[in-house]
Amino acid sequence: MNDYQQRLIVLAGLYVTLSVSLNLINGITGQFSIGHAAFYQIGAYATGYLSIHYIQAFAPKVGGDVPWLLLMIVVGAIAAAIAGLLVGLPSLRLRGDYLAIVTLGFGEIVRIVVQNNDALGGSYALANIPRIQPIWVSLLLAVVCIAVCRNLLKTARGQTYLAVREDEVAAAAMGVNITGVKVTAFMIGSAFAGAAGAVLAHYEGVVTPQTFTMDVSFIILTMVVLGGNGSITGSVFAALFLFYLPEYLRDLKSPDGSALIISGGAVLAGLLAVGFGVAVIRWALNNAKLARGTRVAAYFGSVVVAVPIFFIARVGIHLIPTMATTQVQAGQLRMVIFAVSLIAIMLIRPQGIFAHHEFSWTWVRKLFGKPGVPTEIAA
Amino acid sequence: MDLAPHLLAAVDFRTLPEQFTNGLFLGSIYALIALGYTMVYGILKLINFAHGDVYMLGAYMAFFVSEWLGFGPGSNKQHSNLWNLALMLIASMVLCAVVGVIIERFAYRPLRSHPRIASLITAIGVSLFLEYGGALYLPNSPPPNINELVNPYRGSWDISIVGPGKKFVQAEKDTVAQLDQTKAAYDAYMNAHPDASEFDLPPDGNALRQAYLAARDKHSDAARAMSSSGVSIHLIFGDLIIFGTSVLLMGILTYLVMFTRAGRAMRAVSHDFDSAALMGVNVDQIVMFTFIIGSALAGAGAMMQATFKGTALTTFFGFVPGVKAFVAAVLGGIGNIPGAVLGGLLMGVSETTMYWLGYGRYADAIAFVILIVVLLFRPGGLLGSAKMEKV
Repeated sequence: MNDYQQRLIVLAGLYVTLSVSLNLINGITGQFSIGHAAFYQIGAYATGYLSIHYIQAFAPKVGGDVPWLLLMIVVGAIAAAIAGLLVGLPSLRLRGDYLAIVTLGFGEIVRIVVQNNDALGGSYALANIPRIQPIWVSLLLAVVCIAVCRNLLKTARGQTYLAVREDEVAAAAMGVNITGVKVTAFMIGSAFAGAAGAVLAHYEGVVTPQTFTMDVSFIILTMVVLGGNGSITGSVFAALFLFYLPEYLRDLKSPDGSALIISGGAVLAGLLAVGFGVAVIRWALNNAKLARGTRVAAYFGSVVVAVPIFFIARVGIHLIPTMATTQVQAGQLRMVIFAVSLIAIMLIRPQGIFAHHEFSWTWVRKLFGKPGVPTEIAA
Repeated sequence: MDLAPHLLAAVDFRTLPEQFTNGLFLGSIYALIALGYTMVYGILKLINFAHGDVYMLGAYMAFFVSEWLGFGPGSNKQHSNLWNLALMLIASMVLCAVVGVIIERFAYRPLRSHPRIASLITAIGVSLFLEYGGALYLPNSPPPNINELVNPYRGSWDISIVGPGKKFVQAEKDTVAQLDQTKAAYDAYMNAHPDASEFDLPPDGNALRQAYLAARDKHSDAARAMSSSGVSIHLIFGDLIIFGTSVLLMGILTYLVMFTRAGRAMRAVSHDFDSAALMGVNVDQIVMFTFIIGSALAGAGAMMQATFKGTALTTFFGFVPGVKAFVAAVLGGIGNIPGAVLGGLLMGVSETTMYWLGYGRYADAIAFVILIVVLLFRPGGLLGSAKMEKV
């Protein structure tokens, strides 16, 4: 396994951690935080700075590099959790969309403050972080994150998170401390993001403010929304899918072996085809009177019909001279794919692919025909 | 954060009026964009994240129209007139209105019955789509900017509020005599020796030259001290046009909202969506109308920013003004049209104040700080209610 594939695995693990931790805040507790990259950044910079200055002195005391890394992960988690507390506490009385903007603003403030602070490398980079690069740390972190979130929901305490999501007033009337629940959710979610940041800093060796722009927050949000707000399984699948798809596209080669170049017209035709498919599916969703069979046929039909539409549209668009000659690298499509998948999933199935369902053995039993208990966490 | 020992060390109070007027002019563009945000929020309770990118598209449209008119980046066409600018303005406004309607029709309307978070997420998706999709087709690097020759009004005015101090005027006058004398001597020497190169003179010529240069430096120092000892405002015609056009457009908007049937319907829908529908208002049409107006205003702002301020256009340049305008709308009271105007002007003034105080690097962060402070202490905004909703 070469360096590049190793790096992909580590990053995939980090993105899984990030999306599951954001899912805890957004999907399970029902808040709307879109500044998750801020906690990622705080974890990365805090532990990076500490490692640069103190690893020589203290690493031998804790027994080597890898224990130091584990210690740094804990420190990063704590630092980010404190930030989560700072963000969470005052934001509690804000409604959904305002909370979103405040978290976004907080993310930007963190980024700007770091960017203007020369001790942390300013807008260049915090470099020379000692590289401690075992792959298993990132994967272990992802597994721990999933385990913590899943088991949290199995406890009675965890159920209060779902109660806060469903109806705050009713939950408060039932004696749930909604303030405590929301703040705790923020802290746990941001702690895992900070831990992921620590792993990132020590894997890459360099962190720059450009790694933590708002786009990263939006990418993580897309992963959560696509997988299903509230479904840990969904977040994991969507994170892996949305992470690997652009990497796969980047590797695509055209028949002569050079990097695949798509023409601008083809991209536009592709968008039109996707738009058409979404329109057909929405038509099927909107018409409640359709029989189930017709509806399923419409879903498949949208895909089947979209493909010829793509080819026809591409021919038509290539008649416009600028469209035929615009070159698009497959790698540039990464964010466009994220944006289109976000819009498409919101138009077709706003609750996400997995909605509130989780993977469980009853699900497997259901697949084999045995009726079981419902597979949703909360009905 | 490196706080200087004296926080206000960089401050020069004499430049305050100029910075204030600059802030007002900057804020007028933020106000135009904020109007779009506030109207859409008032009607649909939706923060239209994509509004900043509609603004960006308006700027690109102005750029393409300017190219079509012959003022592409490398040209030196000299004759521009008001009709060119008017054409660019109208083209930007129309394109933005069309894009706004398309976005509303296909991305927001299907989700009207869903929780508002769904529309917000879709808005984020549309914003990303416009930015990165646009980056595939629109010229992004090197970022183009509109040729300043399109703008026939490139002069400026200097309004003096307080004249220069008498001492400085006297000092400047004193240096003039010395300057004339040394210049005359030097010129006479150069005329007498036409073949001498000024960088390679014999000692006597060099002495004259040095005397002349010294006198010239003293004179320009004195002149600079004189001009900065007074308080004056430097008004660029472009900024005045921006401000004037913004005021005109806001006036038209006020007329539309206060004195027409459609405007009354808009106010009704923003007051109570369902009751307005029950009273026979065609809500879909009113929403479309709102998006048209809001996006057209953003397009006007974009065209003026790109033309008169010569901003370099990338597909991402609409994001930061969009966020600042959103903060402006919240500051003034979201859903409140005069609030958006007030908020916009305040945001502009606060940004130039940051530059004036010497903290230009944090000029963008001040917007977020204002946002958080407003949301925490007065979520209704300055012109909104002071109550904080509990549920």
